[in-house]
Amino acid sequence: MMASLSRAIVRNLRPRSVLVSISLIVICAVCLLPVVWTISSSLKGRDELYMATPSLIPRHPTLANYQWMFTRADMSRLPLNMWNSLKVALGAVVIQCITATMAGFAFGRLDFRGRDLLFYLLIVLMFVPRAGGLMALYELMEFLHLRNSHLGLMLLFPSAISVALFVMRQNFLGIPRELEEAAIIDGAGTWRVFLDVDLPFVKGGIAVVAIWEFIYVWGEYLITLTMIDFPELETVSLAVTKLRGWSAHFTSTILAGYGAECAAYVTAMIPVILIFILMQKWFVRGLTEGILKM
Amino acid sequence: MAEARVERVDEVRAGGTRAVFAEFLRELIRVREQRWGNLWGYFFIAPAVIMYLVFQAWPIVRGLFMAFSDYRWLVRETHGLAGFNGLANWAEMLTDKTFWRSLGIAFKFSLMFTPIALALALFTAVMISKVKNGVAAGVYRVIAYMPVVLPVSVAMLVWGKLFHVQFGYLNVILKKLGMQNPPNWLGSPKMALYAMVVPTVWFRFGEWTLLFLIGIYNINREIYEAAVVDGANGWQQFLRVTVPLLKPVFTLVLVLGSGVVSATVESMALFGGTSGGPGESALTAGVYLYRTAFIHGDMRMGYAATMSLLLGIINMIITATVFKTMRTERA
Repeated sequence: MMASLSRAIVRNLRPRSVLVSISLIVICAVCLLPVVWTISSSLKGRDELYMATPSLIPRHPTLANYQWMFTRADMSRLPLNMWNSLKVALGAVVIQCITATMAGFAFGRLDFRGRDLLFYLLIVLMFVPRAGGLMALYELMEFLHLRNSHLGLMLLFPSAISVALFVMRQNFLGIPRELEEAAIIDGAGTWRVFLDVDLPFVKGGIAVVAIWEFIYVWGEYLITLTMIDFPELETVSLAVTKLRGWSAHFTSTILAGYGAECAAYVTAMIPVILIFILMQKWFVRGLTEGILKM
Repeated sequence: MAEARVERVDEVRAGGTRAVFAEFLRELIRVREQRWGNLWGYFFIAPAVIMYLVFQAWPIVRGLFMAFSDYRWLVRETHGLAGFNGLANWAEMLTDKTFWRSLGIAFKFSLMFTPIALALALFTAVMISKVKNGVAAGVYRVIAYMPVVLPVSVAMLVWGKLFHVQFGYLNVILKKLGMQNPPNWLGSPKMALYAMVVPTVWFRFGEWTLLFLIGIYNINREIYEAAVVDGANGWQQFLRVTVPLLKPVFTLVLVLGSGVVSATVESMALFGGTSGGPGESALTAGVYLYRTAFIHGDMRMGYAATMSLLLGIINMIITATVFKTMRTERA
């Protein structure tokens, strides 16, 4: 075992592959460094953070920063913000999955008057510059009483349907016609064909759409900032930008604003990083079926 | 019949903006002769289409009108049709020094960001494609793509911590390497814009890497083998096989990433609001129009829409140019 491993290493030790490995390791280190540094800082106390030569690995790791962020309800709204983000993201995911699946079925499987016209309409608008989009959106949402409302965000985000629609349409096109025809001969209507025959085939597509929408909504900043005025409604990606400058009026003698802010950043990153690592194969599918197709 | 139509849609879409638009107009005429078909179709597309029309299409139409009106959110008299002021916004924009400066900053930022991110993404993709071990390649892919999934604000703030003059790790490393006075990255007007490029590249290049990588994986192995038989070395293979065959991905990446990257969120997260950084040195056009519409004075949404429309037109021109150049080179 060891012998074969070392043989494999020696075989791979050609100068070219060493060069490839070194450059990739450097690139990956740069990719990871900011995240690792933030995690490390979030585990440090005041003394260690303010040391002249801070180290990348905390010498006396402590969870005090996290404890502070999660329990001091008078100064930190982190738990509430996380809950808001989760609520908005899940709401948007559910709505997006329903609308995109239904529309994907119709565009990929049904024949009705104006079908392709409507499909082109959805694509054409994508290329039109969003002139004043945000300003017009502000006015529209105010008019609909959907500003400062999580429901408003849950409706707004899934309305950008293009990519999800492509993915779902592509998935429905891949289902063999014969299955549907058999069901129709057995007397199934459109609704039955959709629910019982086709839906099980597009589960993968729905997963892709759901994951992409979740990541998008979790990280969305500009629209959320424009639509939400009250701190208690803020999502976490918005709230973290307002933590700045705490250090000045920080009362604790063992913690530092720097560490507590890093703890908040780490908390905000954890859900998306976990989803990404656990479900990465769906990401590649989303890229190949969605973006590359457009 | 239906199958053929479906294929036609895919074909048109691959043809780019103009093909889609032309087909859209042709389809307008064709629809009159069509039979109604399965009426369930309307039921199934209704939720998506209604939401699309309300939240996506309407703001475009309304924004176009706004760009020609003196619409101030906090002044009731300028709401609706009353604010119409013809080309006055455009005349004001011509003489607005801050706007032109911010547009210049946005251009400068794009000219730094796009080539760096493009080169880095292509390099990383080619390197990963050379890794024979499937598991190792998977790990590299995941790590390179990871920054993309982070919330953009968090990505910028994380770099803000790294950039910190005293406690940031970047300057710790620089000091260790022997630099006496490491730069005050986000605090000096000279450095701020350059400092902003770094996290933006870090945040976005992973997506392009993966797009390039998918493109490379799709290139037929036999083409490389033929190139090797013809005596091409690694560099020649890259220039003669990889780059030409990646042309569609290049087009996509350039369309996604070129144009005036307004870098609105990036600047706002890094510098804590719409200040535009030290001495407004990182005040990109996006930030300037955002603060005109939502932060300053009586919220001049009309004027902001004008600036936004100009940005949109510039971006459309750049996109069209990208499509055109990529197409002529292919022939």
